[in-house]
Amino acid sequence: MRTLRTLLILLAAAAALILSVPASATTLRSVDWTLTEIGAAPADDAQWQAYDLPLRWTSRPGEPLRGLTLRLRTTLEAPPTQAWAVLLSNASTGGRVSVNGRMVGEIRTADASTEVRWRRPHLLAIDPSLLVAGENTILIQTAYSSGVHFLAGVEVGPLAEVSREYGLRFFASTILPWIGGTLATCFALLFALLWLRRHDATIALVALASAFWVLRSAYFLIETVPVGAAVWLDLLFYVANGGFAVVMTLVLLRLAGRASGRAAWMPALYAAIGPALLIVTGGHAVPHLDRLWLPGLIGMVAIGLAYALLSRVRKHEALQIVVITAITVAIAAAAYDYGVAQGWLPEATMLALHWAGPLLLAALATPVVDRFVRVLRDAEGARGDLESRVREREQMLKRNYERLREGERVQATAAERQRIMQDMHDGLGTQLVSSLMLVERGALTQAQVAQILRESIDDMRLAIDALAQGNSDLLASLGNLRYRMEPRFRAAGIELIWDARDMPEELNINPDAVLPILRIVQESLTNALKHSQARAVSVALQVTQAGDDAPMLQIRVTDNGKGIAGERVGGRGLMNMRSRANKVGGTLTLESVPGTGTRVKFTYKLDEYHTGLTRTPTQLGLNTEAIIERFREGGG
Amino acid sequence: MSSEKTTVLIVEDEPEFRMRFKQIVESEPTLELIGVAANKREAQELIDRTKFDVMLIDLGLPDGNGTDLIRQVSAKRPDVDIMVVTVFGDEQHVVSAIEAGATGYILKDSTAADVVSCIRLLRAGGSPVSPVVARSVLRAIRNRMGGAGGGTTRPGGASPDNNPLSARETEILQLLAKGMSFNEIGEILGISPHTVTAHIKKIYRKLAVHSRGEAVYEATQMGLLRS
Repeated sequence: MRTLRTLLILLAAAAALILSVPASATTLRSVDWTLTEIGAAPADDAQWQAYDLPLRWTSRPGEPLRGLTLRLRTTLEAPPTQAWAVLLSNASTGGRVSVNGRMVGEIRTADASTEVRWRRPHLLAIDPSLLVAGENTILIQTAYSSGVHFLAGVEVGPLAEVSREYGLRFFASTILPWIGGTLATCFALLFALLWLRRHDATIALVALASAFWVLRSAYFLIETVPVGAAVWLDLLFYVANGGFAVVMTLVLLRLAGRASGRAAWMPALYAAIGPALLIVTGGHAVPHLDRLWLPGLIGMVAIGLAYALLSRVRKHEALQIVVITAITVAIAAAAYDYGVAQGWLPEATMLALHWAGPLLLAALATPVVDRFVRVLRDAEGARGDLESRVREREQMLKRNYERLREGERVQATAAERQRIMQDMHDGLGTQLVSSLMLVERGALTQAQVAQILRESIDDMRLAIDALAQGNSDLLASLGNLRYRMEPRFRAAGIELIWDARDMPEELNINPDAVLPILRIVQESLTNALKHSQARAVSVALQVTQAGDDAPMLQIRVTDNGKGIAGERVGGRGLMNMRSRANKVGGTLTLESVPGTGTRVKFTYKLDEYHTGLTRTPTQLGLNTEAIIERFREGGG
Repeated sequence: MSSEKTTVLIVEDEPEFRMRFKQIVESEPTLELIGVAANKREAQELIDRTKFDVMLIDLGLPDGNGTDLIRQVSAKRPDVDIMVVTVFGDEQHVVSAIEAGATGYILKDSTAADVVSCIRLLRAGGSPVSPVVARSVLRAIRNRMGGAGGGTTRPGGASPDNNPLSARETEILQLLAKGMSFNEIGEILGISPHTVTAHIKKIYRKLAVHSRGEAVYEATQMGLLRS
């Protein structure tokens, strides 16, 4: 409550300050008028005619330039001591100003070639010595031709006081139209550019309204015109006002949902009447048009407003309310300005539409800006949505890859288990079962049992070498076999030569083939150890490649023993070796020369598993290369 | 080789094998049995109480994994040779034991002569290694290097800053992994087989030191140790 009261008091104080007229300045209320020769002083016997201020007079187009002297009187109790001044707020014709017969200043007047329409105020200082106690006379010698002319707002008083009023008047009559015109220019350019990019009715209307406002502001800022161009300046004013009013009416009709073709053409038709009549009558109709047609424009917009209010009564949105309010204010301002111009209302410091117009333009632009902002927000939202969907998708892909990888792993494990089962069945299992039967029959000596068990353990170690986690390196497994058998060869006095120096560091092959190949080599070595009576056995490992063919692995087990007799070449051990070689897709050949030695040659085509590289498990998230690699490893 | 007897400590939970190792040591005049433990607790007592040159240890003990004991002994007494007893000599068991500080391993079914010669090899400064273990050691070291050289066969290993092995040591490991014997490697490189085994022992030690450093680093990271 208290805040409100304080606020009210402050407002009242501000209003009082603004409204307070300088006590010592005098506003002159009447003027004497007499026609003279152009540039000449009035004759002594001149007929003076008295008029009240503000004074408004018109002259028809084509009438000649006339000389005019205006006489104003002000009474002083005593001659002033400080600088004095006369303010001509609205003396449209200008003129030479003198006080008590002495000139104090000259404002350009119309001449044969130029018309003037001063809207700006003029402040003329008066030397206090010119003033006397009692009545003082101010003479304005001026001239006028066609058009509407004014004399209003003549004030006399101390320079300091009057110049304050002058500043206010200058702002209202000159600076404000500049501001409005500049603002409207910016709007017009901006929305015209927008419209070029996007043909949208709202944008077009704002651009048009702004353009009309630019024209209207120009009219108020042009104060001197060549004689022939004056009528065009009036035309400019009519076009600007008519156009602006039509645009406003269209905006309102659109708000009312009645922007049909006919509804749009009627205001346009009415607006065209003014400029058309002006051209047709060559400017003669201007006073009548001013009085009748201009208020008609206001009425037209008001009708549009009524439509908008009636139809939108139930569903007003904030932005529409802003637009409707701004138009309402503009209508009131236009009506007020008209009232002032017609002399129905007291003279005002400034024209209300100079304020209301730019505000209206800003209000019209808000829906466009709002829509732009909303679209931007939607776009950002859409982008965010898209991003989150992409992320989701990525997650899904990742999960799929993980599942795939897991599946591969499971598959690999199953394959390995299968391999182990098969191997147990064929190898160790069979061996143990048959040994058990022999032991039960009592057919074996202790040494033979030990031998069988040792072989079983050997077999198991071979399997472990072959099946060890991630071990598809044939070379190390073969090496281990050699490492284990070495002591036995040493014990038997047989030299075991191992030649693998030309081999790559690792030789990764199909895991299914590792154990059979190990068995083949083990069998060869065991045969040489047991039966050959050799002094040396050599194992040579070699990888050869001819042209673009797949590289071949060759393992040669050679001894310098007694050789194998012809009938034993097809023996059971050798048959086993051959079948193993066939199973992995290799070939096995046996060369034996009795008395010279035996050579077992095994060749095997290295497939896509073959690589000389060490594989380290990749633990990157979505590494395509790693995934492809894994497909390659586990897929075939 | 010193003229004094090599003192041996046996840690083995299975009575059959305990007896067998005991017999092997006792029947070898150059060896002297210091003690026999059947579990970690007993072994701990003996380690605290006695002095020995060689420890034969089975990793799978009834009251825990023997790796702790290996780490402890190798840290406290670097001069002791630790020999892991394993059934298969498979890479997983052997490499983790080497990382803990073991310098040798023997298979459980080794003959008495094998056991004795293995102990002699260790005392002479060498270490046995099978091709699969050699290859695993190579891999372990490469993985330590952050996988930098993990996929290559560049001679002498990858970047020298991370690789604790010398070029010669890497070369020896590579030849071993291919199945070449100490003698053959010696011939190829023009060094004695004894030097080859000595290199291997050095490699084992480096791997152990390296993994110990890592363990300390990791423990510090986890806040278990104050740095």
